[in-house]
Amino acid sequence: MNRLLSGLFWISLCLILAFITLPLLVVVAASLSPSSMVTFSPADWTMKWYAALWASKWLDPFILSVKIAVIVSLVSGVLGALGAYAVAYEKCPGSEAIMAFLLSPLAVPQIVKGVAIVLFLSSAGLYTLLGTPGLIAGHIVLTLPFAARMIATSIYNFDKNLDRAAQILGASKWQRVRHILLPLIKPGLFSGMTFAFIISFNNIPLSVFLVRPGQTTLPITVINYMEYSLDPVLAAVNVASLIFILTTIFLFEKLGGFSAQIHGGSK
Amino acid sequence: MSDIDIELISVRKTYGNALVVGDISLSIPKGEFVSLLGPSGCGKTTTLNMIAGFQQPTGGEIRIRGRNQAGVPPEKRNIGLVFQNYALFPHMTVAENVAFGLRMKGAPRAEIDQTVNTALKSVHLEGFEAHYPKELSGGQQQRTALARAIAPRPSVLLLDEPLSNLDLKLREAMRVELKEIQQQLAMTFVYVTHDQEEAMAMSDRVVVMSGGVIAQEDKPENIYNAPRTSFVADFIGKSNILPVSAVRATGDQREITINHSNISLAVGSDQAGPPAARFCCIRPEDVRIIGGEAFAEGANVLDGTISKIVNLGAHLDLWVTVDRDITIKALVRSSRSDQLKTGNHVSISIAPAAIRLLHE
Repeated sequence: MNRLLSGLFWISLCLILAFITLPLLVVVAASLSPSSMVTFSPADWTMKWYAALWASKWLDPFILSVKIAVIVSLVSGVLGALGAYAVAYEKCPGSEAIMAFLLSPLAVPQIVKGVAIVLFLSSAGLYTLLGTPGLIAGHIVLTLPFAARMIATSIYNFDKNLDRAAQILGASKWQRVRHILLPLIKPGLFSGMTFAFIISFNNIPLSVFLVRPGQTTLPITVINYMEYSLDPVLAAVNVASLIFILTTIFLFEKLGGFSAQIHGGSK
Repeated sequence: MSDIDIELISVRKTYGNALVVGDISLSIPKGEFVSLLGPSGCGKTTTLNMIAGFQQPTGGEIRIRGRNQAGVPPEKRNIGLVFQNYALFPHMTVAENVAFGLRMKGAPRAEIDQTVNTALKSVHLEGFEAHYPKELSGGQQQRTALARAIAPRPSVLLLDEPLSNLDLKLREAMRVELKEIQQQLAMTFVYVTHDQEEAMAMSDRVVVMSGGVIAQEDKPENIYNAPRTSFVADFIGKSNILPVSAVRATGDQREITINHSNISLAVGSDQAGPPAARFCCIRPEDVRIIGGEAFAEGANVLDGTISKIVNLGAHLDLWVTVDRDITIKALVRSSRSDQLKTGNHVSISIAPAAIRLLHE
């Protein structure tokens, strides 16, 4: 019985992993395809579609996406940390209501948010804010709940006796935050910021409303391109984005060490 | 007044209607090792937290070196505190943990290094500077916590049940060591514990607390030999506490009658026993089991039956039923276990001086 169960476990695990990775393998294969039709012929694989990415048509949206994701990630980290500190650490009056408010954007579909932001900007005569400023603001609305929640969780797990220990040793409030609290919640902070970065970098449903010509993020550029042609350069863009995101996660992990948080240990 | 380090004046703490600490007054001279001893919920930890400044008294005044501490935050009190769970900073090495206090005060590098070395040496942790807390055993973590607390040279060190997470052998070794460290540093120690042996072994003075008030405050030997209340007698060591129905004084002699029995006991005249004594206390080691005629002149002799024997290794705990509802516990050496069996009829003798009268 036990063997049967463990057999079932491994089979379902493999199926799930295959379900996740096989489409990616197809995309990788497609990105190497020699002709402009997407085909599968390993003998003729070529890197020429990747070379084609080195044009401003693809580079400019990529740079814009990275710029927005970096700003969104930093702002979500700072705002999320401040909010989580007030709510989870200081337990300020109405902290539960504040947390609910911080999480509320999760309840609104992105398309609704997108329409609402566009309607707001147009009725307020702030059309010019579409493009980069609008994208940054919109993405922050989207990512802040994740960042705040993750940072709050790591603050809830923080042992307040450590703060007391530092206090009785003569550390002022600011010294305690800087030397004790921040280093110990760093994994939560960095995982929140990583989430914010990835959500912003990949976003389509909200960005679609907020881009303007000349200020278009990478995913929207891909969607637009797809309307007219479906050639392997799209696959190459996707593989390149995938590598970029994996590298980013790796770097954040190196800096923040948040796998410890995910695995429930501490470094 | 400069030789008084800590002074509590009618300190009280209430949460709503619940009284946690009620009007405690206590002065602790410089360099003394004082234990706050009591069962959980007796207010000892709350008292410690009020001295540290983590909790504010509802009434009364706390003075440290003569200065009222109302409104002074913990970081400005120059007090050391060893936590029950040690509260070591997990992201810092042993040396960084110990250096933390001085670093926050902006002490020069050379002074910090030297102090860290001295502190680690005094707790016998040389060579562990670069270890992280999670790489240490419980005893080593305990020592690190102690070194961290004494490194900034606080005038007072508070210890909140610091040994309760250690195993028995280590705990006993640490008792001796803690006392040595305290004497070496000539630092005032305020030690909170529910373990009476710990308090007895280390303290210059024991403050027994119960229900938020001080039940008795004295040298350890006096607390043991002359408990003032049945709570103290029961909490400190083992004791037979018997209800007393009457006290008669005839000349030099005093005699008590045990409630609901025909047992009368002569009591030493040296103690000016409370006139309305309601209990008496007899330590089990003062109860002798006598075989035949050999007993001290003037001692109370009672006949009874052994109802239970508990083997404690070196000693036997003997329960002797002397009347229907009255059982007196005696402590005898295990070498006598051959002669003593459950159901045996024995005589016990209790010297009058070994009986303490208690009024509550």
